[in-house]
Amino acid sequence: MNNSKKFLPGLFLVLIIVFLILGAILYLAAYFWGFFLILLAGILYFIRQVITLGPAEAKLNVKLMGKKLMVPVVGILCSMILAILIMIITGYDPLTVLKSLFYGGFIRNWHVSVLNATPLIFTGLSIAIGFKAGLFNIGAEGQYYIGTMAATYLGLKLGLPPFLSIVLIYLISASAAAAYNIFPAVLKVKTGAHEVITTMMFAHIARYLSPIFVLANGGDPATSTHVYVTDEIIRTNFLPYFSSFLPEANYRLHIGILIALITAVAINFFLNRSKYGYEIRAVGANADAARAQGISVGRNIILALVMGGFLAGMAGVTETLGLNHKMFQNLDAGYGFNGISVALLAGNHPIGIIFTSLLWGALDAGGQYMSRTTGVPGAIVEIIKGMILFLIVAKYIYSWAGNRLVSRRKARAEEGLA
Amino acid sequence: MNTFLAIFNADLLVSTIRLATPIALAAIGATICERSGIVNIAMEGIMVVGAFMAVVFTFLSGSPWVGLVAGILGGGIFSLIHGAATISLHMDHTVSGAVLNILALGVTRYLMILFYGHPGTTDSIPISLKAYQFAIPGLSRIPLLGPLLFNQTPIVYLSFLILIAATILMGKTKTGLHIRAAGEHPLALETIGVSVYKIRYLGVFISGLLSGAAGAYLSIENAVSFSEGMTSGKGFIALAAMISGGWSPIGAYLAALFFGFADALQIRFQIMSRVRIPAEIFIIFPYVLCIIAVAGLVRRSRAPKADGKDFMIEKSE
Amino acid sequence: MKKVLLVVLMVCLVAGIAFARPGREGASTGGAVMAMATDVGGLGDKSFNDGAYQGLLLARDRLGAQVVVVESKQQTDYIPNLTGLAEDGARLVVAVGFLMEEAVKETATHNPDTYFAGIDIGTNPGDPSNFQGVLFNEHECGYLAGVLAGLLTQQYASAIPGKLNSQNTIGVVLGMLVPAVERYEVGFIAGARSVNPTVNVISVTTDSFTDQARGKEAALAMIDQGADIVFHAAGQTGLGSINACDERGVLAIGVDIDQNAVAPNTVVTSAMKDIVQATYLVAESVANGTFAGGTQVYGIDRDAVGLAPFHGFDSQIPQAVKDRIAAAIADMKAGRIRIPTSRAEINR
Repeated sequence: MNNSKKFLPGLFLVLIIVFLILGAILYLAAYFWGFFLILLAGILYFIRQVITLGPAEAKLNVKLMGKKLMVPVVGILCSMILAILIMIITGYDPLTVLKSLFYGGFIRNWHVSVLNATPLIFTGLSIAIGFKAGLFNIGAEGQYYIGTMAATYLGLKLGLPPFLSIVLIYLISASAAAAYNIFPAVLKVKTGAHEVITTMMFAHIARYLSPIFVLANGGDPATSTHVYVTDEIIRTNFLPYFSSFLPEANYRLHIGILIALITAVAINFFLNRSKYGYEIRAVGANADAARAQGISVGRNIILALVMGGFLAGMAGVTETLGLNHKMFQNLDAGYGFNGISVALLAGNHPIGIIFTSLLWGALDAGGQYMSRTTGVPGAIVEIIKGMILFLIVAKYIYSWAGNRLVSRRKARAEEGLA
Repeated sequence: MNTFLAIFNADLLVSTIRLATPIALAAIGATICERSGIVNIAMEGIMVVGAFMAVVFTFLSGSPWVGLVAGILGGGIFSLIHGAATISLHMDHTVSGAVLNILALGVTRYLMILFYGHPGTTDSIPISLKAYQFAIPGLSRIPLLGPLLFNQTPIVYLSFLILIAATILMGKTKTGLHIRAAGEHPLALETIGVSVYKIRYLGVFISGLLSGAAGAYLSIENAVSFSEGMTSGKGFIALAAMISGGWSPIGAYLAALFFGFADALQIRFQIMSRVRIPAEIFIIFPYVLCIIAVAGLVRRSRAPKADGKDFMIEKSE
Repeated sequence: MKKVLLVVLMVCLVAGIAFARPGREGASTGGAVMAMATDVGGLGDKSFNDGAYQGLLLARDRLGAQVVVVESKQQTDYIPNLTGLAEDGARLVVAVGFLMEEAVKETATHNPDTYFAGIDIGTNPGDPSNFQGVLFNEHECGYLAGVLAGLLTQQYASAIPGKLNSQNTIGVVLGMLVPAVERYEVGFIAGARSVNPTVNVISVTTDSFTDQARGKEAALAMIDQGADIVFHAAGQTGLGSINACDERGVLAIGVDIDQNAVAPNTVVTSAMKDIVQATYLVAESVANGTFAGGTQVYGIDRDAVGLAPFHGFDSQIPQAVKDRIAAAIADMKAGRIRIPTSRAEINR
């Protein structure tokens, strides 16, 4: 009896994880029936809760989760309604537009959404770690450039067995980006130079160093046929494609998204379960109190910025090994700034960042599809994004509205009594 | 060597002022805003809106002066979204700023398609504020400083006036005292019967007006049309100028001048170079200089104590 | 429980509406779809994006084609946009601008049933056969602009009083140093030196096709150094340069299309390449079924590059200058002069 009590939840846990991973992989590769596996994992999770905690508590947990999801869902719906209003006022048919936005972003060009989201998850995590320590790593874009440059360089030169080579490129290139962020970190600790200025300036410097790098690695018009782009990296250093094991997947979709998911889970564990994560959060919450507890503020500032650099660098590595396979002179990707949005939208929660990045990626991909097929300016997507961010993060609106509702009901009830 | 020294001339200083003015305006605004306790990273977005409104209203009215007023007011009104979000709705200041930056791009792009039929660049306005450049008689004769300070275009003169006004406002007036108190000890301010909310709204609004003026400078004084991306990060440079200026108007102005100077110098270095050096080496020069300056010079600066901290009044019901 | 059911039902309904494949609007009406994807500069650049668009509008009027334009906000948009246009059934997809080279070739490989063309994009052996690169000899019209500037700034400085000085200095403002921009610059320098060996040509790279303020500042700095004619090859950035020339009362030379309308009292001429015609010709070849892969080079021999009319300046330009330009054109057509195409071939 005792044995089975332990055995059953264990079995369930294994099943849940297997279904979840399989479902996620399938779904991300646009095999949409993977969703049913995820759903199944959810149901199993509920059953496991019933077994271990009893039905009442399990129900309560579900309710709590539903409540947590309320704000984002209501926020997205409200911003959609506002977008519909804007479209009506400016003379577009909202139903067609929204349909093609969703169809384009979540079905037809879902692979584009996933590709868009992949680097965003990394830069979002990079910025979130900064925020947790009370730092604004506004220069993630620059660390992304450094990661890209290092990965391109190594990708061109490193001819080891595929797996080993890729792991090494990830480690070295992301570390280079982390090292690049040591300067602002040390300046912050030693001289108090504000990280907003220093990381931003270092980002500009990295951005303008990249053309020189491109010229030096195969992009020189004097010697090369493909100018302002580096040579292509060695083929064995490419990240594997989904299509190598799921034939229907789009040919450009690489497994970088899975690396991003694993990283997000790892960062979640690091921030919320480990001692180092606790210290970073403590410094961010109240530096003086942390110092009183004997936590070194300087060390944690450096740790947070260096990890931020590492993560932003990983974004560059993933884009290089998975998608571009070379470096363009003028990247101008904007991942740094979009990373700020997805991090804030997720409340700096690593797991939340996965979903907000996918949402952002899908809005971009859907917006392109929409403007292509309906002629509606893609700019409406930027407006929708702004409103979503606004309406989800301004949680106070809901508690205010809720309070109004409650007090009005109360008043009405009192009236009824009288 | 002679040609090298030749770049240090009056033209360089004029160019410095030209490049520094939009940064300075936004940075002074941000200083007042942050002294009242509201973090503002939305200058970039507000500048975009200001620049766009200025061009649209110059078109509609035919007068760049109307455009200037529209640009300033447009920036001010747009910034009130930030005020409402951070002050009344208690939203995180950074988030709200990020939202405004996104919104500004989307809204101007959308409106541009509606007004002009395409995004990108608007048509040229008939007459720009540059045409109203005037020399102040007498003063403009002073060697070096004369042409620099007293033979300028309207918004540059405006920026001088604003610098003086902001310094007096923050240092000598009661309102300035209240603004500083709202940023340092909001509770104390509230207890003497001054509404922290109102003061903070004022700070945000002033910063919006000034960022709007900075945007108008870019579109209808320094250029003759609006194009997307024309602010190219100047709002964020203004943020850097505000911090390196130690949260004081005069400091912000000097920091902006420093950026303008470095940028002006960079372009001239590029012209002067006889050897083939990648242009990027020159372009990064202002940024390197900025890092050195921030790390070496301004270690004493400190943000207002309640900067970015939410302030909520418990209403008794 | 009822509540839950209701919510589930609602979600299903909304999802059903949202995810349903939207109907194809108007795909069956009209002729073949001819589409273009702009680079990040976008429409309204008064330069190559606008030019290609006009070419497609010509195809609409003459061939009855349907025109679709997609704007790209950043480089990562290129492949999805091009792929999307092909998958939505466009016969021809025109990619505008050198920065789209990699994207358009990759897309062409994966969409063999659609024709692709790339403005300012060359081809290499092994490129897909459904892709046609359209290149222009920018160095040829740059050379002509250089001849004009080299003569006006020194020998004929009195021809346009009040605008030209005696410092024998001219300038060129560059956007990003892509090959087309480099060809303009190198041709300009070579042309100026061919008629005026001692001329000082100042060249500034702004590294941007969109930053008007930077273009203006670069031009102003040149004018401060004595430049009295400023050429630009910088897209929207160059609009700032023209504006600077207008303020300081010196001459500007426009680029790509006739930019005289930007500032009629300042833009003496423009180094033009006929993107409109080139784009139209691609569209026509698709309509006729004569489309061929490889590179089409449009040069002075096909009258596809050249100088714009002088407009208001026409009466002021001395006949001798016009003759020198005509002679240079004749020399080029006869192959008597070779114009350098890269910086490596000239000493700065």
